[in-house]
Order: sequence, then structure tokens, then C-alpha cells
Amino acid sequence: MFIDFFYILREKGVPITPTSFLRLHQALRMGLILSLEDLYTVARSILVKSERYFDLYDQVFAHHFKGVDLKDPDDEEITELARALLEEWLKHPEEIAAALDIDEDKLQKMTPEELLKYFFDRLKEQTEAHQGGNRWIGTGGTSPVGHSGYHPGGMRVGGVSRNKSAIKVALDRRYKDYSQEGPLTQSHMGEALKRLRRLVPVGPKDVVNVDKTIYETIRSGGEIEIVFDRRLKDRINVILMIDNGGWSMDPYIPLVQTLFDYVRAQFKDLTTYFFHNTIYDEVWLDPRRRAKPEKTVDFVSKDPETRLIIIGDASMAPYELMHTKGFIHLEKRRSRPSIEHLQFLASTFRHCVWINPEQEKWWGAWTVDIIRQIFPMYELTLDGLDKAVHHLMSRN
Amino acid sequence: MTDTMNQNGEFYRFQGASRYVLDNELAKIVNVSIALEMPLLLKGEPGTGKTMLAYAIAENLDMPLIVLNVKSSMKLVDALYQYDTLTRLNDSRFGDSNRDVSNIEEYIKMGKIGQAFVADVRTVLLIDEIDKADTDFQDDMLDVLDQMQFDIIEVDKTVGAKKRPVVIITSNAKKDLSDPFLGRCNFHHIAFPDPGMMRSIIGVHFPNLQREMIDACIATFYQLREFDGIEKKPATRELINWIRALKADPDFKISTLRKGAVPYLGVLYKKSSDLKAAAIRVAQSLM
Repeated sequence: MFIDFFYILREKGVPITPTSFLRLHQALRMGLILSLEDLYTVARSILVKSERYFDLYDQVFAHHFKGVDLKDPDDEEITELARALLEEWLKHPEEIAAALDIDEDKLQKMTPEELLKYFFDRLKEQTEAHQGGNRWIGTGGTSPVGHSGYHPGGMRVGGVSRNKSAIKVALDRRYKDYSQEGPLTQSHMGEALKRLRRLVPVGPKDVVNVDKTIYETIRSGGEIEIVFDRRLKDRINVILMIDNGGWSMDPYIPLVQTLFDYVRAQFKDLTTYFFHNTIYDEVWLDPRRRAKPEKTVDFVSKDPETRLIIIGDASMAPYELMHTKGFIHLEKRRSRPSIEHLQFLASTFRHCVWINPEQEKWWGAWTVDIIRQIFPMYELTLDGLDKAVHHLMSRN
Repeated sequence: MTDTMNQNGEFYRFQGASRYVLDNELAKIVNVSIALEMPLLLKGEPGTGKTMLAYAIAENLDMPLIVLNVKSSMKLVDALYQYDTLTRLNDSRFGDSNRDVSNIEEYIKMGKIGQAFVADVRTVLLIDEIDKADTDFQDDMLDVLDQMQFDIIEVDKTVGAKKRPVVIITSNAKKDLSDPFLGRCNFHHIAFPDPGMMRSIIGVHFPNLQREMIDACIATFYQLREFDGIEKKPATRELINWIRALKADPDFKISTLRKGAVPYLGVLYKKSSDLKAAAIRVAQSLM
């Protein structure tokens, strides 16, 4: 039963194991599922193990048990676009009245939902006549009416309601938010922190050393001598180098700042340096990159077990990276090209990563490719951070 | 008759408790998990009542509740049992206790999971905030929960669950737990209650509160949750405490809220940066 459902879910990327599918059948056999509502709830709880997939599950459920069109990526765009347009139009009711060919008084009485529905209905009528016109009317014009017509997200407060049918709940796609991916926001930072926390070895605290206690007790002829071990010290050192110059990093400043604040709170032994675009002879302890320079070559004397984390977009003019006189500040031109400094750092600290606040799909700059060959590069997202932390903690 | 049924041969049915407002969906999931003898993993933002659910189940099904508060340094064996070597060493030296030093079992104390296993009645075992511990803890626990038994190495004895406990596991994290772990749990994500649900929750906690007061508080509360840039948004717990504070203040009038002022903002926002940001926003809305 529901074999198709199982395969569609898997096909759409919800990771379901056969075991859990069998368990669903166990629940069915035990008579725990008596209605479609039950099936919706129970199957989700048994099959889907993360709220990230709830939205996808809702879509597949609605598709399978109601025949609703599975969403093309475009639909979402259309709904969003339509809503944006609608908001704009609502400021000028005369215009929308004219555009939709509707009486202005009648328009006033419509709720935004009705309006959107009406709008989509019009759109549907229009698709036949309106060939290849505006892209968002041309493509998939009919399909949003299928489900999104009832789902003007953002206009109605979603949430738990008792009287809705499973199909309606599934159509509502209450869990849309959770499926969003993308770069870190401030609220995600706490989570990022947790991932970085793995860097810190948490050892047992104030443990009695049984072996030593026995040894010492025997040594003193049975007089009990309890030996306590000192708690394991947090030995991990972290060096953070942040690109804080140049307009290309500007959009990411709040993001990087938040990450930096959290990291600083987390590690006692953390040193932060700043650089502009890429690393030359010196990096600076002060964000203004003036007062406290430290020579890059001096890092050789630091503990090689130190974890080095570099944050920057790695985008710059090629000569800045490759040329001996690359540094864009004329008065500070140096003798070695930046790339050699980077290679030097990478060879000094075997645990090093480069975190790029730009999303991986936008990594196009030529210099990004070069730097990626030197440092393992990860994007500043939850997944990226996780991989970076994983890399930093791996033995090799 | 199996463990999952009561004396009358019916499945245990969880229907909510005196201080807990339950939606049908969650009730169904709890009942299915009990029937399938699967641990139920609950996720959701703080203040959605994940922990309270376990208390409510225990109350409703009249089972003792055993809470294991997971800590970051915790090892699984701590949750199972402890071998008190120090006391034994002390007893062997001074011999002034009633315990038999040659019997190691006298020095084995059950941890929280162990207690749930050896209990004579069926218990509700709440494993709270499992995400705090490292992944090893989770992976080790798999076998224990799967087999419903563990070994005490020191005395070479296997402890099995007399009555399979109802296991509720909570996690705050947005990140996923390990796949094998998830595979053995049922899963539910508790969404933040909508205003209607919140109204019933308030009703349970303050049965005699005036309607206007509830309306005004809930309206203000959901407005406050809309503010961006807040690190820890006020949740159910904060709302309840806030209403309590408002009730305790003899000078408080509902009209104050309607005007947009928010007294006792500090009850709602626990972080100084949040409090500051929220105070500014409230002041702006007053103008």
C-alpha cells in the first residue's frame, strides 16, 4: 500500500528508509490509522525525521492524495511576484481596478485573498490568449491557481487548526519556512556556535584517578590516599583572520561580526587578525589595520596545532594575489607575492580553513579558484560551517 | 495483553492534562509512538512545550516520570548506572557501614535510564535536550533504547527493562541528529502556537482572566514577536510570566496595552541587547 507515495517522496528528496515505511504499515495493521488525517499525521511522524522536509512532505501528500500539481520552481516565483505586484497595486486601487477590469467599489470589498484568487483566475483565462508575452504570465500560468490560489502565504496566519482536513493542512504548507536554505542569519548563529563548540574537547571534570589511588594507597600501607586528576584543559588555540577591507566584503560585515562575537565568547584562546583582501607581510591585531601589525612569517613560531580560520570573500584582482608588488596600498608594497604568504600559512598550520561568506554558487572569481587550491574553502552557511569544523577537527 | 495496553486491554490513550493544551495532531503522534513502542523525538523552538509534554503524558497516563537532563560532558554510562568506587574503597578501609564490601552490586547505583528500566511500573522517560551531548552519546544510546537493555560491566550483569518505558526525547537544535538515531525515533516538530492556540494555553493557566485582558496581551505579544533582530524571541513561558506580572500590578490597566505601551518588558526579553532593541521599537510605536 502507498508504494507510489513512498517512491515519490524519495524521488523528491525526502530521505525515507524502507524500515520506517514498514513501520508505517505496522501502524496501519495495528489499526492506529483510521482516516486520511491520521495517515497524514502518523506517516509524517514515522517517515519524516526533520522539519526541513515537512514542506516537501506536504506537497507530495497533497499531490498523491489530491492530485495537486507538484510545484515547479516557477510557481513560487509567480506567487511571490504576484503578491509584490498586488501590494504595489493596493496603493493605487484605481489602477488595479482598471487592470483587472473590475469595479472599484467591488474591489474595496474584497479581501486580499479573494483579490489574489480573482487575479489568478484572470491570469488563467489570459494564458490562452496571451501567448509568450510576459514570462511570468506565459509559463505555468495555470498551475499556481491549482494550489497557491488558496495559499497566499503571508496574508493569512498559518498554524494549528483543529477543523481542517489533512489535504487542506497539506495544501497550506505550514512548514514552508523550515525548508528555506541560504546563508546564515543572526538567529542561525547560535546554531553555528554549537557546531564550532565541537572544536572544544570537553573532558571529564575532577575525576578520581582510580589506578593512581590504588597505587598510592598500597604504597602507604593501606592508608587511603585518593588521587584526583586535574580536569582536562581546553588546549585548542584558534587564530581567526578576517578580511575587513574593501567594498566587496561590505554586505557581509554584520554576518561576519556576529559570527566573530560568538566565536570570541566561545574560545578563551582566540586571537583575531585583520587583513585587506589577501594576506601580505603583515596582518593586524587592530581592525583599522594600523597600530598593531604582526609579521606573517612570525606565525611559524606558533603552535602548529593551532586552528587557523580565515574569513574573506577571496575575490580580488589577480595581480593582488600573484604579483610581488600586488598590495593595493602603494606605500606598503612588499617583495613577496601574497600567494606565497598564503601557502606559507597553509603549510604552517595543518588545520586551516577558509570561510567564504559568499554562497558557493556565486564563487566565480579567478582568485577564488587559486585560493581554494591552497585552503579548503567553505561557504558561511550552517552546512558550510559544519564541514569546516569537521575538517578542522579531522586528524589529518 | 502487551505492555502497550492497560488492564482493560485498550491501548494507552493520551488526551492532554490539566495544565497542558494539546492539539489533535500531537495527541495522535504520542499515541502512535506509545503503541509502536518507539521513542518520540520532539523538536521546536524553546517555549513550545516540548518538555511539558512529557510531564503531561506522565500525569495523564498516571505513570511516574523520570527526567534525564542531558549535559554536554555527559557520558552514556552516567545515565545508565554508576559504580561508586570511592565509597567501596572507604568501606573496605574503615568497615563502618552495613554494606558488604565483597559484593560489588551494593555499590552500583542506577542512573536515570537505569531507574526507568528497573522500575516495577511503566514509566515515562524524558531525555531532555539531547543535542547538548556529543554524537557519541546519541549513538551509544541507540542500542540501549533499541534492545531495552544494557550491561553492567563490573558485575557482568544485564539489566533489561521490566516495563518498556515511554521515551520522549527533546532537542532544541536546528541541526539534525545522526541518521541511525533518527531512524529509530518517531519525529515531530512543534510549531509555535498560533494566537487561537495561545488563547487556550492562557486559559489553562489563568482560568479567571478577563477576555479583554487576554485579547490585549495576546495581541501585544504577537506584535512583539514580529520585531526583527531579536536573538531570543519571547515564548510561551515569557508570556505567562508577563501576564502574571501584569496581574500582580495593581496600577495596571488594559488601556495601557491598547495604547501600545508595554510594561515589564524585561520579563519578556531576557537578553540585554534584545531588551534594548525592543524598548526602542516600543517607544517608536508609541509616537
